[in-house]
Amino acid sequence: MAVTMTLDPIEQLNEDEKRKYIKGKKLGEGTYANVYLGHSRQDPSQLVAIKKIKVQQQYQDGMAPDAVRELKYLRELHHPNIISLLSVFSSKDQNLNLVLEYLPLGDLEMLIRDVDRVRYGAGDIKAWMGMLTRAVWFCHDNFVLHRDIKPNNLLIAADGEVKLADFGLARSFADPGRRMTANVITRWYRPPELLFGARHYGGAADIWSVGMVFAELIIRAPFLAGNTEVEQISLICKHIGTPTEDNWPGVTRLREYTVPSEVVPVWGKEAYMGRFGAVGADGVDLLVRTVALDPKKRITAREMLEHRWWRTDPKPTRKEDLPRKSGGGAEEKMGADLKRRNGILEDEANNSNSRGAKVARKLDFGQGK
Amino acid sequence: MSRKPSSGLPAISSEDMCPVCKTIRYLNKDMEFLINPECYHSMCSNCVNRLFNDGPNQCPYAGCHRTLRRKGFRSAFFGDLSVEREVDIRRRVAAVFNQAEDDFETLRDYNNYLQMVEDLTFDLVSGSDAARRAAEATLQQWEAEHRADIERNRKAGREADEQSRRRLAAEREAARQRRVEALREAEEEKRERARSREAELDSLAKGEVVSAGGPAGGAQQRVQLKRRGQAAVNAAAASAAGTGAAAAAADVGRLSIRGLKEKKAPAPEGPYDPFGGMDFVPSRYKLHDGLSHPAIDKYKADPGHITGGYNFDDYTARALYEAFAGLAVFVEDEKEVGIGLSAGEVATISAGMIAVGDKMELD
Ligand SMILES: Nc1ncnc2c1ncn2[C@@H]1O[C@H](COP(=O)(O)OP(=O)(O)OP(=O)(O)O)[C@@H](O)[C@H]1O
Ligand SMILES: [Mg+2]
Ligand SMILES: [Zn+2]
Ligand SMILES: [Zn+2]
Repeated sequence: MAVTMTLDPIEQLNEDEKRKYIKGKKLGEGTYANVYLGHSRQDPSQLVAIKKIKVQQQYQDGMAPDAVRELKYLRELHHPNIISLLSVFSSKDQNLNLVLEYLPLGDLEMLIRDVDRVRYGAGDIKAWMGMLTRAVWFCHDNFVLHRDIKPNNLLIAADGEVKLADFGLARSFADPGRRMTANVITRWYRPPELLFGARHYGGAADIWSVGMVFAELIIRAPFLAGNTEVEQISLICKHIGTPTEDNWPGVTRLREYTVPSEVVPVWGKEAYMGRFGAVGADGVDLLVRTVALDPKKRITAREMLEHRWWRTDPKPTRKEDLPRKSGGGAEEKMGADLKRRNGILEDEANNSNSRGAKVARKLDFGQGK
Repeated sequence: MSRKPSSGLPAISSEDMCPVCKTIRYLNKDMEFLINPECYHSMCSNCVNRLFNDGPNQCPYAGCHRTLRRKGFRSAFFGDLSVEREVDIRRRVAAVFNQAEDDFETLRDYNNYLQMVEDLTFDLVSGSDAARRAAEATLQQWEAEHRADIERNRKAGREADEQSRRRLAAEREAARQRRVEALREAEEEKRERARSREAELDSLAKGEVVSAGGPAGGAQQRVQLKRRGQAAVNAAAASAAGTGAAAAAADVGRLSIRGLKEKKAPAPEGPYDPFGGMDFVPSRYKLHDGLSHPAIDKYKADPGHITGGYNFDDYTARALYEAFAGLAVFVEDEKEVGIGLSAGEVATISAGMIAVGDKMELD
């Protein structure tokens, strides 16, 4: 006679859920999680990504809060451009496992960096930006701030659809009077209000990140890549303009307001045309609106979607026809990083003598080996 | 055709036969081909061991008189040995001509330099014998004359590596820090919320709060009610987990209430719709700008809220939305998904999700 272990119904349910999936090879590693490929036990062709939250000592008797955020928001947000959460179960040691849709085509960062093998144009940028903006609009429309928008959190589905992922820092819009942390969003994508220490902010913070991703898609290198917070602020001042009481009333009273002494007037649209002209005057107009220094004057996600750029030529590329990453794997990404460090790619987009740039990349062949 | 292997640079033959000992790969599955960059003549590892284990020896290829050493052999990375050779040459050239753009006055100078290097590489890879010899001489001369520079650049490259490794580590630490602060934020908020809920329950008990009030006035309270509503859903899902997931299906209407906004995408060939075919105007209520309430107004004047881009209209929108979504569902105390989550709660949530899935399949 078989001895059946009796589980309470909840444990049983969890057990059932866990048994539905088979965990495979590791796909990637983040700050707080390892991500594995997995498939359904019933239908092995149905692939999933299983995000297993790393054990954290301080939460022995509960689940890590990052995971809880991710769980809480993904459970509520159902949208084609937001990664979907299929299931969740806890494994032994109370490890939380999020079962996510599997997104096999890498992330936007890989495409941006692989200058050698991935070519793309204005229609492609428009399509990617459209999907990103929709995702952000949907989050904001559901009162959720993402707070970590950047190219490597934009994953790509098999059909080319871009999906906003990694909700580990997300939260809902705060009530008035409630302070939020200013230390969110990866530095290069962090808006000036957060760099200046604002504790009451809104969707505009995410929009700045969207603008930075837009700029990066065009020049194929991070637009403002500061190594420290101070450097980040001075890059903003230099390339966008110095925040002052004139262009942003009250800014000088933010806790951490400090800017380089030389005041740079806010650059107009024309100044962006040289470097970002590839998306046309309308595209540049949209870009400039996303990087308004004063968050109150920054365009909202909804207004972005109402902008004329989407309707002007070229049309956004159909998602099936979008460029894809070539081959697979981390090695390639590393190769791209090595190249970037050589400082060659930064100038490539606007370098009319692109022959030089190409030659330079050819020579990268043997370096770093 | 000569019976001895010729000294050209063939691609590894399709039968995978060792040109030296004539062993065919399908007879010996583990057979591995090796090359030596002295001459790129490939042969199987058995031959390499046999011929070179006892010390340097001559290449067995006809007409090739290079002296090869065991240690120089490696497996070919590319099927095409001429590619293999080109890669080696490029690697060698790149190690000598390793100037960076910063080393040049102008971009033009840098490009000219790159052009020169590329021409030289071309001569080495596929130039005539004379061109190759000349290029080889140039390379050696440059190497001799610029030894110090080359070494400096090589080190700079390594330092850049080191620097970026350090930077990467710092980035990781910063990412971790951000998570920790978000956590602190959540804890603070939870405490705060508990405090204000207590205050509210107190005043409710004293009968101080009336349901009337301005639209936003009611809203704040309704937000609380809505949260209680959410708790009800959680509780329902939990009990469903006990009685079977099917029972939970009845309750998931509320669980996935936000999904109400979702609509089918339009036919793919229509004109591009930036919104992706989704309804974006709230249908159940109309939002007026500038709704006010004393509790909010005091913050409206606060520079901290204004300057940071806090959006009061978003707040009223949320308050209204939540009020309409959770109309007067009033249950036992709300239990937030806060810091940490027990296995039971995870199961509860997944029960809810399964139920949603089931329901969708029924539709
Ligand atoms: N759904 C998915 N499909 C395929 N790969 C995925 C998926 N989710 C995550 N990955 C891979 O796993 C990696 C880590 O995932 P993720 O960014 O979600 O973790 P994280 O802990 O939040 O990391 P971090 O905050 O450091 O970016 C990703 O960079 C990606 O390569
Ligand atoms: Mg991530
Ligand atoms: Zn042999
Ligand atoms: Zn030989």
